[in-house]
Amino acid sequence: MTCEELIAHLSSYLDHEMDAALVAEVQEHIAHCRNCRVVLDTSQRLMVLLHDEGRRIIPMRERSALFDRLQQAFLNRSPASDSNTTV
Amino acid sequence: MNGAGIGAARRFPDIIVRAIWYRTCVHCMNDESALIAGLRQRDPQAFATFFEQYADRIYRLAYGIVGNEADAEEALQSTFISALEAIDRFEQHARLGTWLYRIAYNHALMILRRRRPEESLPDEDGPLPVPSALTDWSTLPEDRLLSSEAQEILRNAIAELPTTLRAAFICRDIEGFSTAECAQIIGVSEGALKVRLHRARLALRERVSEYFGEWVASSSPRGDRDHDM
Repeated sequence: MTCEELIAHLSSYLDHEMDAALVAEVQEHIAHCRNCRVVLDTSQRLMVLLHDEGRRIIPMRERSALFDRLQQAFLNRSPASDSNTTV
Repeated sequence: MNGAGIGAARRFPDIIVRAIWYRTCVHCMNDESALIAGLRQRDPQAFATFFEQYADRIYRLAYGIVGNEADAEEALQSTFISALEAIDRFEQHARLGTWLYRIAYNHALMILRRRRPEESLPDEDGPLPVPSALTDWSTLPEDRLLSSEAQEILRNAIAELPTTLRAAFICRDIEGFSTAECAQIIGVSEGALKVRLHRARLALRERVSEYFGEWVASSSPRGDRDHDM
């Protein structure tokens, strides 16, 4: 496996969607390629960091007001919706 | 909970009452079919469960696309209103979450196009970028990587992604939808979704590594430098 091939398959490897033979090739490659090992290690670390960073929630100061507004809209809508809203 | 119950509970801070109410509702409405039936019957408890289960997730997707709180709230409201108007026609071929996310994605995209009509689409057929930031920062201490400075770098890196790549990344790596579900939400083939996700990850790694690599270099006595790929 070349460096270019490893980069092309990086996401499959990270997502554990790669077959065993290719996984073995990746592991063999990174055993002697320092740069690809860095790309792999930093990518794995980054996925964890980004997952945690992205766990944003509705700000508490807005949450109750949003709930009230949307609940009001929910309770006020017509009984059997005949709206043509495209979803 | 009936009206009298809510009235009695008003003696307690609103936030606590809601937390208890949400928790109760989540337990009694955790089945998706029951939730949909409740929404169709205009049951307030069903609405509370629906809000508790999906509002934050929709807000996160919308925020990831539009990039600010006000527009994310607008997208959330529009999504809820569209979904609740259409709930009677919802056919359970897809999971409720996937269906909602698709509506949210479209609303967020509409808001973004109103704000940034000039954004061009990235080239998804060109060669993959070659990683050039090759300092190993993966062993930096946890407290450094979780610092507010690091969080800002991560936030900015996500925000700088082109919208199409950002949406793929948020769906898959933040919200944890499967590739097939993400493709359905965004309205592309699974192959195209994988390409976008791959490009997003490479771009994020490159951007973040520029900053974190500097931290390694500045803390290393021999000044660890990138190697050529």
